[in-house]
Amino acid sequence: MDQLSPSSLAVYLAMLVLLAPFGSFLLSALSGKKMKSGWPATIAIILSLIASVILFFSVWNKEDVHQGFTWFTIGQHRFELGVWLNNLTVLMLLLVCLIALPVHIYSAVYMKGDEGIHRYWLFLSLFCFAMLGLVMASSLLTMYIGWELVGFSSYLLIGFWYTRDAAVRANKKAFLINRIGDLGFLIGIALLYGQFGTLDLNALFGADGLIGQASIDSQWWRYGNHSLPVMWLSIAGLAFFLGAMAKSAQFPFHIWLPDAMEGPTSVSSLIHAATMVAAGVFMLVRVSPLFSSEVLLIIACIGAFTAFMAASIALTQNDIKKTLAFSTVSQLGFMMAAIGIGQFGVAIFHLVTHAFFKCLLFLSAGAVIHEMHHLKTAHGLDIDPQDIQNMGGLRKYMPKTFFLTIIGAISLAGLPLTAGYLSKDAILIYAFEWAEIRSSVALLIPLTLLLSSALTAFYIARLVFKVFYGKLRLNGTSVDYHPHEAPKGMWYPMAFLACASFFFCYSYNPLVFEEAWPLNGFPRIEQMERMNIYHTVIPALVNSIAILGVFIAWRWYAQQKYPLSARGGLYRFSFAQWHLDHVYSKLIVKPLLFLSDLLYGFDRRVVDGFVDLWSGITRRLSVLAAWLDQYVVDAFINRIAQLAFVMGGVFRGSRQGKVQHYLLGMFLIFFIVMLLGLKFL
Amino acid sequence: MIPLSHFLTVSAILFSIGLYAVLSKKNAILVLVGVELMINAAALNLVAFGRYDGKQYEGQIFALFVIVLAAAAVAVALAIILSVYNHYKSINPDDINNLKD
Repeated sequence: MDQLSPSSLAVYLAMLVLLAPFGSFLLSALSGKKMKSGWPATIAIILSLIASVILFFSVWNKEDVHQGFTWFTIGQHRFELGVWLNNLTVLMLLLVCLIALPVHIYSAVYMKGDEGIHRYWLFLSLFCFAMLGLVMASSLLTMYIGWELVGFSSYLLIGFWYTRDAAVRANKKAFLINRIGDLGFLIGIALLYGQFGTLDLNALFGADGLIGQASIDSQWWRYGNHSLPVMWLSIAGLAFFLGAMAKSAQFPFHIWLPDAMEGPTSVSSLIHAATMVAAGVFMLVRVSPLFSSEVLLIIACIGAFTAFMAASIALTQNDIKKTLAFSTVSQLGFMMAAIGIGQFGVAIFHLVTHAFFKCLLFLSAGAVIHEMHHLKTAHGLDIDPQDIQNMGGLRKYMPKTFFLTIIGAISLAGLPLTAGYLSKDAILIYAFEWAEIRSSVALLIPLTLLLSSALTAFYIARLVFKVFYGKLRLNGTSVDYHPHEAPKGMWYPMAFLACASFFFCYSYNPLVFEEAWPLNGFPRIEQMERMNIYHTVIPALVNSIAILGVFIAWRWYAQQKYPLSARGGLYRFSFAQWHLDHVYSKLIVKPLLFLSDLLYGFDRRVVDGFVDLWSGITRRLSVLAAWLDQYVVDAFINRIAQLAFVMGGVFRGSRQGKVQHYLLGMFLIFFIVMLLGLKFL
Repeated sequence: MIPLSHFLTVSAILFSIGLYAVLSKKNAILVLVGVELMINAAALNLVAFGRYDGKQYEGQIFALFVIVLAAAAVAVALAIILSVYNHYKSINPDDINNLKD
């Protein structure tokens, strides 16, 4: 009997992680509308979770597993299908499963009674399968397949309520913008394949990968006998970054993410926490050895700018899910900035902590929306259940949801004792250290991040105060509404996520991020000697600013002492999301539509006109031919036939069947012949 | 002695009368009579020319054959007319026109 070596066991487990959701997807697909229950999907994700926990403990900080087989061969080029399990992979696998499981349980309650519930479980399983496949892929090709599948299934889920016009527009927008990024990813893959002739991730980016072996001199980027101008190294890095920008919603491609709120809230939480947007950050960390310093600088700038922009937009949004969506964009900006300053482990750490508290916040928002929707249908109100201007005072009606939201909010704001504190401080401290050894202009990046962090504290406090404090703004003078607490199936998963939002899941020390275990799984890149001053000053600074932000929000929203006019220019600028949709519409959509109109007109007038002209000529000609046929050719034939008919009639007239006439004829002819014979002989 | 041309003239008249009867009579019996007249005209010719063959009388002998055959032919023809009458209930040659068209 064969001995199962640990690595082959790991491969089997990886297959289980991947195939369980796929099996559930197939089952749902085959049973169609009958599959109303979410149990197959949930059981599949539990199986994945168990397998990924075992995988985690067998691979984390131990030997990598890299196995695969040849999938197909084109000429000399072999393409492999396989898994590459290292620290990053198993951490992400665990994260995806850990986030997906509460979301599945929550969905069972949240989506109950929806008409399309069978499609919901189908798409959700596909989504998890795609993300898990993307994470464990061993080559860029399979990773790209997972990447596309993630995009496609998110398209399906965002447009889940496809009868709503807004949902259909949102999923089209998400899909189109992601296509731009996919193009970048594909170009990057092509460049790497052209240079190195392999797509294997381990061979390219592993411990002593080909990227490291390639040499760079002043003009050429060389590997073996392949060489490209050194510019292409940066272009390859930027191409990969373009893919990540679209997937992880970085400026200027962030516009799809807020619109994606049209999907069910549980889906939003999954997209925002662990699957869709995490894919971009994950991919950048995977290919990180590729980036040159210029590319890293660009990534840092865009990340910091996105963090600030999205945070400023989130300040004024009235839709509870839109606020959270911009918050995600902003936090993704933080992760990008962390990648840009070369701290890949920190980026993943923030990805992990953010996944838990953002999922928690979304699920809480879902619970609130669920109750508001319930009120709306129960009392026949004409309100938008997601508008925080209708909420308020929910703390009294939904104490558990309130408590859990507070945990998510302080974690997002980065207050001490939470997971968000650890990861956000790590990013900020490293950013300041990074700026220290560069010029003073570089200080702009950490300062932008610091400002965004303060804005974060403010907008999440605003959200909490507006939703849970004060009085329920729906309650007029006559009617009192009484929302209820969320059901168990909804707040149990939230409670689990809340536990994971505290520091003790990551580190024994609540104040120093450096002891956090997820960071120890990645090569630590110190910019210079640890600068103690930053490690003390920055957390204190961040927290005092955050507490100040929360305090201002409390004054303004909880105590109703709102000092600003909603008509201010900055307010409107933020409320309109920096007018970016407008700008895109003017700069891209309008010209495109104009161009298509032009082309359509060209098609109508010139191409169609030419064809129409030809068909007109042909029709005239055929009319002429038909006339000729009828009145000349046919007429001639008819005349001949008529002649034959008439002649026949004439000759038939003499044939009366009278024997004596025949006899007379015979006699006469004989007589004539005899006469003629007499004459000529 | 009666010259040969008288015989031939009588014979030609007889033939013409027979021909006329054959072509114009509306009764098959009379058509048959016309046929007999034409045969007799031919027999008369045979006999008239036979006079110039003094030794063997071939003309007279042929005339005898003609008479015998004419008798036989009349027997057959009458049988046919009878049969036609049974079939068509008429012996008018104009009515027997099944070959028309």
